[in-house]
Amino acid sequence: MIPYELIVLFRVMPKPELTTAIKRTANAIFDRGGLIRKLENLGTRETPYKISSNGMPHRQASYFLYECNIPPSKIGDIINEYSRDVDIIKKDIYKKTIPEQFECTLHEEMQPPPYRKDVQEIMALARRKEKRKFKANTGMDYYPFQK
Amino acid sequence: MNTLLIQRLIPKMPLRYIIRSASTDADVPNFDMENPFEKEKPQCILCKHKIVVDYKNIRLLSQFQSSYTGQIYGRHITGLCKKQQELLETEIKKAQNSGMMGFYTKEPIFLQDPELYDVERPIRPHRF
Ligand SMILES: [Zn+2]
Repeated sequence: MIPYELIVLFRVMPKPELTTAIKRTANAIFDRGGLIRKLENLGTRETPYKISSNGMPHRQASYFLYECNIPPSKIGDIINEYSRDVDIIKKDIYKKTIPEQFECTLHEEMQPPPYRKDVQEIMALARRKEKRKFKANTGMDYYPFQK
Repeated sequence: MNTLLIQRLIPKMPLRYIIRSASTDADVPNFDMENPFEKEKPQCILCKHKIVVDYKNIRLLSQFQSSYTGQIYGRHITGLCKKQQELLETEIKKAQNSGMMGFYTKEPIFLQDPELYDVERPIRPHRF
């Protein structure tokens, strides 16, 4: 099972209703053989843009983050169930990314264009596309015949 | 006269002797050492402080966004390396799609945040 991060936006509602809604969404994961590692409340606040769902525009939402492991085949199923949930405004699921180690290449990118590797590649490509010119081999520096 | 001049230029010491002295003498500088005057390589601000860009950290992400149009600034303005800029843009798009961050707006509370770069002075000229 792959670790996922599930972000759910609930509509603003009183606490007991919110707890039942959270339980409902959590049970949807458990029923499909998933498990929740962490459940985080990101707060109730105004959304950055108006979100229309369930036939109503929403300008405020309660943000919740679920860190869970779900079998990948069941994700579409869970998303489908959440989309039919009246209390959920928006949901999004992302694979949990592990930060990879890499070296900063800024010093290479700060060089003048002809020294940069990607520019050199483009130049090589342009050179390859150049049309071959026909050489007459007449030994003269001008074309002897009428054009 | 020419031959005399050439003879003067040729060292009197036999070549064999010179080579031996160079290999044994401790005072001869070591030419294989790395350049002590080499400048420190410049690093972008995220690599320097080892910051991992995350789509939940909206405060950091919105520092790379225009406060007028919400546009994500390019590499020539932010001064990030290629990889970090790529990561940053994917994370911003994730945050925008999950309803945490605006597409065209910046949160008013983030407007007073310190500027990490000068928008007016990009590294490379651009057409805007
Ligand atoms: Zn970097």
